Amino acid sequence: MHAWRLVVVGLAALAFGAGCSSKKTDGGLDSGEAGAGYGEESLGTTTGGTGGSLDLAKNNMLGGPGGAGGDTGPLRDIFFNFDSFELDETSRQTLQENADWLKDNSSVRVEVEGHCDDRGTVEYNLALGAKRAAAAKNYLVALGIGRDRMTTISYGEELPLCHEEAESCWSRNRRAHFVPAGN
Amino acid sequence: MRRCPFLLIVPFLVASLSGAAAAQVRSTIVGPGVTRYPIAVAALKQISLGAGETFGRVLARDLELSGLFRVLPSDTYIEPSQTSGVSAESINFDNWSVIGALAVIKGTAERQGSELTAEVRLFDVGQRRQLAGRRFRGTTGDEARMANRFADEVIATFTGERGPFDSQIAFLSTRGGRFKDLYLMAADGEGTRRVTNENTLNLSPAWAPDGRSLLLTSYRGGNPDLFTIALPRGAWSRLSSLKGLNLGGRWSPDGREIAVTLEYDGNPEIGVLDANGALLRRLTDHWAVDVSATWSPDGAQLAFCSDRSGAPQIYVMDADGRGVRRVSTAGNYNTSPAWSPKGDRIAYATRSGGRFQIVTVKTDGSDARQVTGVGSNEDPAWSPDGRYLVFSSKRGGAAKLYLSDLSGANQAELTTAGGSDTSPAWSGWLERP
Repeated sequence: MHAWRLVVVGLAALAFGAGCSSKKTDGGLDSGEAGAGYGEESLGTTTGGTGGSLDLAKNNMLGGPGGAGGDTGPLRDIFFNFDSFELDETSRQTLQENADWLKDNSSVRVEVEGHCDDRGTVEYNLALGAKRAAAAKNYLVALGIGRDRMTTISYGEELPLCHEEAESCWSRNRRAHFVPAGN
Repeated sequence: MRRCPFLLIVPFLVASLSGAAAAQVRSTIVGPGVTRYPIAVAALKQISLGAGETFGRVLARDLELSGLFRVLPSDTYIEPSQTSGVSAESINFDNWSVIGALAVIKGTAERQGSELTAEVRLFDVGQRRQLAGRRFRGTTGDEARMANRFADEVIATFTGERGPFDSQIAFLSTRGGRFKDLYLMAADGEGTRRVTNENTLNLSPAWAPDGRSLLLTSYRGGNPDLFTIALPRGAWSRLSSLKGLNLGGRWSPDGREIAVTLEYDGNPEIGVLDANGALLRRLTDHWAVDVSATWSPDGAQLAFCSDRSGAPQIYVMDADGRGVRRVSTAGNYNTSPAWSPKGDRIAYATRSGGRFQIVTVKTDGSDARQVTGVGSNEDPAWSPDGRYLVFSSKRGGAAKLYLSDLSGANQAELTTAGGSDTSPAWSGWLERP
């Protein structure tokens, strides 16, 4: 069912995206405003953990200036529409880049995190985050990345990168984030 | 919470209500929009100095929260609480009728060491007679609970149904740190205490039917696993740690099974665990999101949230997963179903204009009634008597817990500490009927 749905989504995105060369690879993220309004935070070395969003949050390093927890590693975040786990053209381009990097670094395993904005209910958003992580993982599998190299985890709306009540922030929080780890 | 061994409830002098008097008051105060019933709550007469000082305050707060009563301000009371009588024979009812009280509560408190005895009576001012009376014996620490219990009895006297205040509300709060931790408080918001202290994500508390423990989803082991938190001390034990979500566990009313959202096959589905956390069966098998199961009180059905129609809506299914039917009809984003302990209605959160409101519907989806209209409101949970809801609301900024009757006419803020308070879960009655 997943594969079938992905194909449909892909065709639809292809149809709508034909001739539309989006330069944005960050899913419309207005990174200029990211973290505005936040106090100074230490961006020292992470203590313990794998560098996933929960570990960053525990160390008070998720969000805020510097954008830790966002697009900082070799693998790029992808972004979603509200209440959606469909992969748009931009996301699929980013996933292709991520797949290329994973192919060049074949010993690296990756945890795919699914995140949501804070509109909606905690439990539903955790389930939605799971769907987003699964959608990203399944697309990477379709691009040739071994399924056993990837795990998924949903954080729902629990680990936002920013906290403003505005679409520029919400869109940044509706993401799949990729955490690489050596084997 | 289990039956408290430190609080012995000894009923005494329970007046036999005459049918006429009961019918009269019942028709007066039941129903939304009806004028609150004016009642006076006199401070308990202190047979021992300092005994029973909080009883009247807690009782008055509970009666106000019920939405059924208007507690007359104590500075209007003519009878001095410490020197006047506390029996129908010795009370000067004219002193109460003249200030507009249709009922008055009076009583005594006596302390011996750490033991507290309170005798409390409810009087009908017009008929000059006792409607209810109760002696409570326990420790001084039980005083607020004694008041909660008497509030429930006063409500029962006037409505024929026990009130909801001898119960507890569990909730999550960030008041103590970066992440949400589990807290408990009385149903009127008194006596808050922290249960967990975990530097990680904790989600979706739910009471066990016997009140001795709560279910909680926590990332303390990395994966969102399902745990039992045993009260009173808050000891953790892991129930389910299948790969991915082990989320939103809800005990069946008979305490034998747990409905939970599981993701082990790669998609969020609702499954059923046994009491030890072993997977018994899955109830849903659909590519969409299926989440937030809630049992009907007879255990025969569950309501849940699914986006199988393209957006989250509320559905009901039989306990074997068959007979799925949609309940929510209005709105394009409905989540967080909660089945009333009376069985007749389902509450949920509906998105409208970018905010959420609490609504209730009959279990076939008909007769939708809006409870909230101000701010954004989520996470409805039912009182044990099925007449009230607690929910989180951002109407004043950060999320706080609010209590409301089903009409929405009477809403009150329960929590005021810093941080955000979310995911309330209302226990059953502490003392079973």
